[in-house]
Amino acid sequence: MIYTQVLANGLMLGAIYACIAVGFSLVWGVLSVINLMHGAFIVLGGYLAFFSWLHLGLNPFLMIIPVALVLFALGYGIQRYAINEVVSKPVLITLTVTFGLEMILYNAMNLAFSATPRRIVLDLGVVDFAGAMLPLDRIAAMVLALALTGLLYLTLRTSKVGRAIVAVRMDRDAATLMGIEYKKIYAITFGLGAFMAGACGAIVAVVFPISTSLSGLLLGKAFVICVIGGLGTVPGALVGGLALGIIESFAGHWLGSQNAILIGFLLMLVLLVVRPTGIIGKKGYE
Amino acid sequence: MKTPVISRGVAATALALGLTLSFFGAPAVAQTIKIGAPLALTGGLADEGKKQAIAYDMWLKRVNDAGGITVGATKRKVELVKYDYQTNEQRAQQLAEKLIVEDKVDLMLAPFGSGHTKVVAGVAERYGVPVMATSASSESIFNQGYKNLFGVLAPNTGGINALLTTVSKSMPAVKRVAILGREDVFPKSMATTMSELAVKAGYQVVSSEFYSVGTLDLSTPISKIKSLKPDWIYITGYSKDLILARKQMADLGVTAPVVTMITGPVYKEFIDALGPQAENVTSMTWWHHSAQFKGNDPWGSTKAFYDQFVAQEKSDPDYVHAASAAALVALQKGIEKAKSTDKKAVREALASLDIVTFYGQIKFSDNGMNGSKELPIIQVQNGVPVPLYPDSVKKGNLRPFK
Repeated sequence: MIYTQVLANGLMLGAIYACIAVGFSLVWGVLSVINLMHGAFIVLGGYLAFFSWLHLGLNPFLMIIPVALVLFALGYGIQRYAINEVVSKPVLITLTVTFGLEMILYNAMNLAFSATPRRIVLDLGVVDFAGAMLPLDRIAAMVLALALTGLLYLTLRTSKVGRAIVAVRMDRDAATLMGIEYKKIYAITFGLGAFMAGACGAIVAVVFPISTSLSGLLLGKAFVICVIGGLGTVPGALVGGLALGIIESFAGHWLGSQNAILIGFLLMLVLLVVRPTGIIGKKGYE
Repeated sequence: MKTPVISRGVAATALALGLTLSFFGAPAVAQTIKIGAPLALTGGLADEGKKQAIAYDMWLKRVNDAGGITVGATKRKVELVKYDYQTNEQRAQQLAEKLIVEDKVDLMLAPFGSGHTKVVAGVAERYGVPVMATSASSESIFNQGYKNLFGVLAPNTGGINALLTTVSKSMPAVKRVAILGREDVFPKSMATTMSELAVKAGYQVVSSEFYSVGTLDLSTPISKIKSLKPDWIYITGYSKDLILARKQMADLGVTAPVVTMITGPVYKEFIDALGPQAENVTSMTWWHHSAQFKGNDPWGSTKAFYDQFVAQEKSDPDYVHAASAAALVALQKGIEKAKSTDKKAVREALASLDIVTFYGQIKFSDNGMNGSKELPIIQVQNGVPVPLYPDSVKKGNLRPFK
């Protein structure tokens, strides 16, 4: 019975992990930009959902898309007017730019919201499934996280913009020759990454207390998940997220919670050596 | 190049004035006393840092409005040199060095928490600058052999013993304890000390586990605790961890006759975030405003401190506010006793200090900790922390959690 609970805990956490990582993976894969703002974007999404709930009484699940759209606009603007200026420079330059912007966003949030942990109280109840207690808010968060990840996958596979993103990812120069404005596609991609972060933030705020100090932690998770699952693909982030959630859950049960994170990092190191592309990583989104 | 005539005239006047003043003696201006304060005003500990800053400013205004600190026959104003170390340990270390070497502070205050106190105390020790800790209670920090480190909080052991006494008196049937602690200086110390003292007090520790600093989710250790069916669940961490732990306990249907969270219920944000789920959670604290003292300090009584704080901040002070103000009171009294700001003399005066303040008694043990305080035990009852122990401040009885 305890293993059913441990597995359920791992799956619920893993789905949120996938949602955390997918936008980060997209930006890294397409733009070759390691977006150090990703964790802060998620936290900002969480705060927007929290304050909408606190002051306007809006259900955070209904706020997922509005919050994500706000973050899309922010991400689009940042890429269009800041990162695009240096996007062709060595990775250290873009890393430094996102690092600086992250510090500004992080401290602005600290000033605006303070570091006090905030929590959305949305206790929807619990269901008992085969001896495992499944809180409905976490189930809803898991389903929505998976749905959003699936939506991004479909967008990249079937929409015109999605195909353009894939084309730019595969060969920027060839895509440009085909009439694709790569800088515009970069801005849309970065916006989509921020969209996913904002949506994920609204989901995370239902499950975990939101605080500015979460941003570094979430960024670290996104990084590990991308390496485990494979960079640049939506299924890679999904597999990496679920794998990390389940591994941390069982490692915590068998080896103690203090070792759960260590096991995740060890797995990342092993994969970097034996399979640097991650479990299902591949080039492009074909 | 020709020097303008007016410049030569001004220079001559200044020179004459300087010579006259040096001959007859310039009026004596008492030098300002400089106290250095590295604060976490941004980053993860920003809330705690801001609490310290509020208390520091309250003390500073009160002391300077009264003319300053009495040093021998003169009164000297005080300047607090504050820097934001952004909750970054390395930055705290650099700023401590800057405060001592560049700003030439006379004395220092430590940042929030045992971990960052240790870092700043290490720097201060190298330069022989007395440093007063406002919120470090882990004995391991004070047992490093530092001669210049003092702290106004009492050791953790006192609080845990008080907690064990409170529970054993009110609920003798409680025997099986499950402990979950954050792997960080203070929370880890509180968890390991509880493991040791609970066994000594006759309790059975059914599990004692830690979670890493970067843990996002606590459902696995809480599921494990559930399977052990303990009578007492004891969790340590910072507010964010404890809010999460309490929520996930509710999600997973985990309960016990006694639930203690160190030191969540002390903070308003814990109760605000959890609402009814905070009810009946117990904790310990280092100060509660219902313990009334009269003392020789800028406020003169606990009531005066409390009243000023409530009028200014529109909320009750917690132990961080009180201990931060008390730390400055201790430094002030050390200077007054030493009749000097000489670092060695102040250190010696602090070592033998024995005063009663609005905060209670301040008397440092050999290791520099304020060992004389009897620590209050509190429980959230009807949305507010109610003191259960000691009898001098007791306002309620221990209620079962479930």
